[in-house]
Amino acid sequence: MRVGLFVTCLVDLMRPRIGFATLRLLEAAGCEVVIPAGQTCCGQPAFSAGDRVAAAALAKKVIAEFEGFDYVVVPSGSCADQIRNEYAGLLAAESAWQARAQALSPRVFELTDFLTRVAQVEQLPGTFRGSITYHDSCGGLRHLGIKQQPRQLLARLPGVELREMVGAEDCCGFGGAFSIKFGAISAAIAERKCDKAAATGADAIVGGDLGCLLNIEGKLRRLGDETTRVLHVAEVLAGDC
Amino acid sequence: MDSRQDILGRIRQRLGRTVDHQTTLAAAHPTLTSPPRPTIVGDLRQRFVDQSLAQSTTVDSVTDWQQVPDAVARYLSASGLAKQVVGWPLLAGHAWSAAGIEFDGRGARDGDTVGITGCYCAIAETGTLMVLSGPETPATVSLLPETHVAIVAASRVVAGMEEAWQLVRGERAELPRAVNFISGPSRTGDIEQTIVLGAHGPYRVHVVLVSAA
Amino acid sequence: MQARSRRFKANAAAALANPVLQANLRTSKGKFVDKRATAILELDDFEGTREAARQVRDHVLKDLDLWLERFETTATARGASVLWAKDGAEICRHVADIARRHSVKKVVKSKSMLSEEAGLNQALEAAGIQPVETDLGEYILQINDNEPPSHIIAPVVHKSLDEVADLFERAHKKPRKTDIAELTREAREALRGHFLSADMGISGGNFLIAETGSVALVTNEGNGRMVTTLPRVHVVITGVEKVVPTLDDLSMLMRLLPRSATGQSISNYVSLLTGVKQRDEADGPEHLYFILVDNGRADLVGSEFQDMLRCIRCGACMNHCPVYQTIGGHAYGWVYPGPMGSVLTPLYLGIDQAIDLPQAATLCDQCGVVCPVKIPLPGLLRRLREKQMEKRLRPLMERVALKAWAWVAARPRLYDLATRIGVRYLAWLAGGRDRIGVLAAAPEWTLGRDFPAPEGRTFRELYRQRSATVAK
Repeated sequence: MRVGLFVTCLVDLMRPRIGFATLRLLEAAGCEVVIPAGQTCCGQPAFSAGDRVAAAALAKKVIAEFEGFDYVVVPSGSCADQIRNEYAGLLAAESAWQARAQALSPRVFELTDFLTRVAQVEQLPGTFRGSITYHDSCGGLRHLGIKQQPRQLLARLPGVELREMVGAEDCCGFGGAFSIKFGAISAAIAERKCDKAAATGADAIVGGDLGCLLNIEGKLRRLGDETTRVLHVAEVLAGDC
Repeated sequence: MDSRQDILGRIRQRLGRTVDHQTTLAAAHPTLTSPPRPTIVGDLRQRFVDQSLAQSTTVDSVTDWQQVPDAVARYLSASGLAKQVVGWPLLAGHAWSAAGIEFDGRGARDGDTVGITGCYCAIAETGTLMVLSGPETPATVSLLPETHVAIVAASRVVAGMEEAWQLVRGERAELPRAVNFISGPSRTGDIEQTIVLGAHGPYRVHVVLVSAA
Repeated sequence: MQARSRRFKANAAAALANPVLQANLRTSKGKFVDKRATAILELDDFEGTREAARQVRDHVLKDLDLWLERFETTATARGASVLWAKDGAEICRHVADIARRHSVKKVVKSKSMLSEEAGLNQALEAAGIQPVETDLGEYILQINDNEPPSHIIAPVVHKSLDEVADLFERAHKKPRKTDIAELTREAREALRGHFLSADMGISGGNFLIAETGSVALVTNEGNGRMVTTLPRVHVVITGVEKVVPTLDDLSMLMRLLPRSATGQSISNYVSLLTGVKQRDEADGPEHLYFILVDNGRADLVGSEFQDMLRCIRCGACMNHCPVYQTIGGHAYGWVYPGPMGSVLTPLYLGIDQAIDLPQAATLCDQCGVVCPVKIPLPGLLRRLREKQMEKRLRPLMERVALKAWAWVAARPRLYDLATRIGVRYLAWLAGGRDRIGVLAAAPEWTLGRDFPAPEGRTFRELYRQRSATVAK
């Protein structure tokens, strides 16, 4: 399987180790992984802000860079959602581009979805020991059906104890630019998420979207919680922590 | 241009309708011949009883109409209520006084404490009474008094609201002024989302289910 | 109602700082959300039912003019008068005319959101007519100096028991009660006399049934029945989008509305009212008026926002919205809060009157997945954001930053350089710590939380260094 890895702009800028963890997982699953050097952003910030023109331009760039692969794997539900579900609509006015978007769409997967449904991995290199509570990011959950996949994979690690929080599916309040346009509301929503996670007593909060994780971690630390770890599912599965 | 013309005109224009359109309205939508409905498992009457109880209605069962006045009298005694009732004129002919009940067949007024009605039919799916207004079945009887007693014939228990409308279509030339679906005592949750029974309508609803009727 | 939607940020800040509101919001969320989830399980096929509901509503909107004419014909045949109102002012004029015609001194009202849109109570008072709200929540607001509602189903969801107890003590001049049942009984007694002496009842209308010319009222308290049975005149005020074809459509929608709104399998009362009191009937109004209202609705027909007209006013969207759950309804500044309010307020009042509302959303779609008629709320909010962009209504800095990001992101080499500098700067800001406490570039983030520090190098530069296979 020839896989194009779309690392996402947040991972690229903030936590490269998540990108390397994703790479390691895909290679361990037997994939030939290619990382197009010119990749930048899927365009969701522009799309959500209402700038269809900019979002469409970035969509074309991503399509051109990635349509040659068997699969495109993304360590983010919201970016995978953008590419898989929104690109065709964005390019509806240009039928040739729309056709290319539609052709690419079924080959685009969020990481845990790919590992369970396509690669069907059995072994995982992760060595995490401790309790984990999983945060379901909105885009992946509601638009890609990401729910059981990360839990199935985490359950394969013998040292992991999964604890479901009440409200695992509740939005954490990140919402992209929302977090800096309406910071007070965003932080209040984040605090509720942190409370729900804390109620499980879990050692770590794990999720599939770095935006959510930065939001949750930032709130935890401001609340004074220095011990609960906040990790991307790729890091945990790949044995980085 | 009056508002009616203005509003309809704008809607027509936005729908791209030409001046001499010949559209006939299809009441039946092509894709919607039978929308999904929850299946009711088991006996309809039992379902009606279970759902009524869930709605905080109390339920008593008797075999036939002869036993109804006594059953109502028992309920009123047990609830500490006086046996002066107002009720549907339609029910005035039953043996109320023999059971010690003073039955006044008329619409209710403020100050009446107990109202007795029958019901047109009852809906098992949700434990609901369907009452139709009319000269013999005034709407106030099930509304103004604090206690509402409803006599339900078991043969008139249907599965869902759709079956209730079917009955009306088959038996009545047109809808009465008021069709009321009643599911238990009145209630409100407006204060701190805590449900309390007894808002502006009755505080309690008691059903007497007549199995042979 | 006077709109305060332009002061969203200030309103929201006040809401976040209000401990009573915050406590009430926490408890009410659980009640509405959890009860709904349980009630939905009673439907064997929730998704199928909501798809059917969506189809019914779309079916009507496709021929809305014809359905309205059909309703007008059937309602008139049963003795009702059908009036049309372009806007709130016309609603008030119609009601004042009707009141004058029938020598009305007192009006009892059951819930009508449209009467809020129109500011009807103020207009009635100005005409020397006394309006009395009878829905418990609306009554509480009325005696609290006409405070606006904060939720379309539970108007005083923002108030605590203590606040209501204090209010009743002041208004009714009776000893203070603290038990909810006792307070409810006190309200019942306060309002009873008004029901019996009012000349006119005003209600909204949950649905208008075209087949029979009827209005369906979905209520729990019994005030809806009182208001439409006892007075001699009944006026129904409702939006033109509320018509449904048949009684069977009503039956199907009634499986979704109470469950989505309050988690009830059925509302206490569903009243289907058709025409006026018959000759030999003892009760019922002698005169029945329908006021069919536009007030912005007609212009949504055939537009990219038409889906919003499917709304059946259940309130599920706001109950599930993380933003509503933290700031409550008043912050939205108009009649309709939450996701549906964030769509309707700019559409009905003007996009420039409610700039922040479509922006104050995470687009999480918690609303969309519970909407019983499948309104694509995040998509409509995004479309409103696009309209703001097109009309250049966004702050200059924001437009510049967005364009700059997109411009750079389209140019990989420039992006590479800019981001390598950017992450090094951020890492420097962190000063060796794992977080940044104050981020001047995005101050709203760090008001309420820390900004975790980046690793300090980009993935792409590190990957290049590790010499892996690179395409192109």
